[in-house]
Amino acid sequence: NHLDSGPELASFRVVKFPALAGDRVRYVGQPVAACVARTRAEAEDLAALVVFEGDVLPAVIDTRDAIKPDTTPLFDGWPDNAFIHATVSEGDIASVADAPVILHRQFKMNRQSVAPLETRGIIAHWDYRLDELVIYMSTQGPHLMRHSLAQTLGLPEHKVRVIAPDVGGGFGGKNRLMPEDIAVCAIALTCGHPVRWIEDRREHLIAAVQAREHVYDMTLYAERNGRVLGIKGEVFVDAGAYSLWPSGPYMEASMAARNLPGPYRIEHLEVETHTVATNKAPLGPYRGVARPGACFAIERAMDELAHELDIDPVELRRINLVRASDMPYRTIGGLVLDTGDYPGAMEAVVEMVDVPGIRARQQRGEADGRRIGLGFAVYTEQSGHGTIEWTKRKSRIVPGYESATVRMLPDGTVQIGVGILNHGQGLETTLAQIAAHELTIDPGRIAIRHGDTNATPMGFGTFASRSIVFSGGAVAKASALLADKIRAIGAHLLQAPLTSVVLKDGAVHAGPASVPIAEIARAGNVRPEMLPAGVAPGLEMTATYEPPDSGGVFSYGVHAAIVAVDPETGVVEILKYAIAEDCGTMINPMIVDGQIIGGVAQGIGTALYEESPYDASGEPLATTFGDYMMPCAPEIPTLDIKHFVSPAHNTQHGVKGMGEGGAIAPPAVIANALTDAFRDIDAKFKETPMTPRRVSDAVARARESLR
Amino acid sequence: MTTVNLTLNGEAISQQVHARDSLADVLREGLNLTGTHVGCEQGACGACTVTLDGMAVRSCIVLAVMCEGRTVETIEGTRHTEPMDIIRRHFHEKHALQCGFCTPGMLMMARDIIARHPDPDEATIRSQLSGQICRCTGYAGIIAAIGSAAREIRETN
Repeated sequence: NHLDSGPELASFRVVKFPALAGDRVRYVGQPVAACVARTRAEAEDLAALVVFEGDVLPAVIDTRDAIKPDTTPLFDGWPDNAFIHATVSEGDIASVADAPVILHRQFKMNRQSVAPLETRGIIAHWDYRLDELVIYMSTQGPHLMRHSLAQTLGLPEHKVRVIAPDVGGGFGGKNRLMPEDIAVCAIALTCGHPVRWIEDRREHLIAAVQAREHVYDMTLYAERNGRVLGIKGEVFVDAGAYSLWPSGPYMEASMAARNLPGPYRIEHLEVETHTVATNKAPLGPYRGVARPGACFAIERAMDELAHELDIDPVELRRINLVRASDMPYRTIGGLVLDTGDYPGAMEAVVEMVDVPGIRARQQRGEADGRRIGLGFAVYTEQSGHGTIEWTKRKSRIVPGYESATVRMLPDGTVQIGVGILNHGQGLETTLAQIAAHELTIDPGRIAIRHGDTNATPMGFGTFASRSIVFSGGAVAKASALLADKIRAIGAHLLQAPLTSVVLKDGAVHAGPASVPIAEIARAGNVRPEMLPAGVAPGLEMTATYEPPDSGGVFSYGVHAAIVAVDPETGVVEILKYAIAEDCGTMINPMIVDGQIIGGVAQGIGTALYEESPYDASGEPLATTFGDYMMPCAPEIPTLDIKHFVSPAHNTQHGVKGMGEGGAIAPPAVIANALTDAFRDIDAKFKETPMTPRRVSDAVARARESLR
Repeated sequence: MTTVNLTLNGEAISQQVHARDSLADVLREGLNLTGTHVGCEQGACGACTVTLDGMAVRSCIVLAVMCEGRTVETIEGTRHTEPMDIIRRHFHEKHALQCGFCTPGMLMMARDIIARHPDPDEATIRSQLSGQICRCTGYAGIIAAIGSAAREIRETN
């Protein structure tokens, strides 16, 4: 059965994405046949015998050309190759049309792979004892996979069990229903034995979720004193050949448009968006989703404006940034920045990089002929957004809550089932810390269980920086309910009034008397005669949680980089990278730092190395780690991180999500640093990744135009 | 099929393999030693690192038939051994892993680096680690863990 994907909007063109291609193949890597054999080697031998015959249609590759009138439509009946055209408009851009400064620039973020180190994989078999389909898969959201696979396979959901045992990274790329998933399950239903498909790296780089490909055409309207008045722009999102379930590619365009004003006090916005279909692998979410592109565009444009006006880029940001006294501040993109001190974070970073020292060093010049550049960028990260935000996005699935079941066992240890999925975020640790705080026991006595639809309550999975807000909230809420019951039983065992007891240090206390949780757990589970009248046996609580205002809470930060770049070879080295960030209350600072550093490493990959190019015929050109450049240990600098803590008003314990933020700013920061390095010749850096070739070409072009 | 005789994790074994089988596939599929992870099959990511006659190699680009008469150690063979237990503890303490997929290869390579560079500075660790890809951590914790593990190993010896 086909599942519709993409937003529930009449203007969005819904297409069928078959598990195996029908009469038309739309991208290299689209599955056309499946070969099953006892071993992978034998199956690959079989696949080598499959002959594919077809007529060749013209390939649609260039993002902007794709929607030109004479281009071959990818789908019959489409007037042009766009899934959707839409305009985001607030304020009145026409009112600033005669602004004293009008700056027009184009920026591009090229396509890349998500590339978790573990590729995708799925094993499916029919369990004849339980009469259910058991699916082991590498996914970020087992409950949603059950929901979608049951529908596509025509099975009732209680006959489908999805297990995600230990997922080797996802970053957004394992959060969509893919054709191979459906094909493997369908084969398992007919063949009577387990069927396995493990994606290899070549398949991953060619046909797994790809990301980031955006083109920005933007105009800033400003006063001569640096105040930015409005942004008018056009955003092209290259969605590839199909829309992936559930939410399809439109979210990229709307998020790009709404994040384009960044954290700036800008009053007029008009952005036309085009979500374009091309003969490439489908675009999907990747850490940061659309915001790395939007941040690249606005932060590069701010630097360009600063240079145009001969204002220091930091000063230009001082003039325009949202201030602490403005909070909560609704941006012209409609996002409500809730708490924080953005200018404070910027001043902190300015101190961390020693601007006068860098300027002096630039004056002196380098013995090796390299140029030194300093760049800044500010980002925001919407997190913990729920029903209001996802219904605004017309999402087919509204991830508006998470659930947790907290179960205390007879010895006082605790198992917590969560619908969320950990695949590297450290949620077993942070969720246990939250429960430990409520129950006043050691986190080591708490086990978090996730990743099995038969063992955990409903949840949406880990994406969109949502886990600590939603799942952390659900764990806190269910644990607090359990703590109430523990207090009630403890008061009874102590023969003290409920109002006089406190739960602390793993025991219920009434004055000098106390009863340990283990004793209460024994009573609650296996000695019901010890319970007070009216208290039911069992120590298990399930709660769902969603923040009271579900528009999201915003983490933010300011990044700065100092780079050294060789003008001839174009090779860039990052000498220093400084961050001041604020993600509200930190449950576990070590994990927060780990997420920041890992995110920045991926952002540096986007900025300098990673690219999935296609030739004019639609052939993907980066199909191995030989030609797809992943950043390794020598490429990633040691980061200097400073934390601000502005708790959210709106979440349990004031937490904000922060898993994506690190990946948002690096392309903008590094491009601004390169621009700074070549200010004297005005070399232009407007496209990622800034490979040695692109950098040396930009320098050569700038020198040429000076001649 | 060919019979290969080798010493695997301290035990002499004979295993039937195809001429085209990689060592990684034989370890994982034939011998159920799934601690060796396969991330690229091109020798580029290092997740499948094992030792062959004591030298760190990428098992995805070693043919199993080449292991005749040789000694292979996988991550499973390092359980409860020194200095790997020390290195493993430092990986834990320094938050040197997130999803954990690269970790077996990282540990095997970390032990190899420390054996060759008992007192490595950060630049040495970074360059020696340049054949191992981690997608999650940004390498910071891994580099710190190798440095601090090397120090402890040096001081206890």
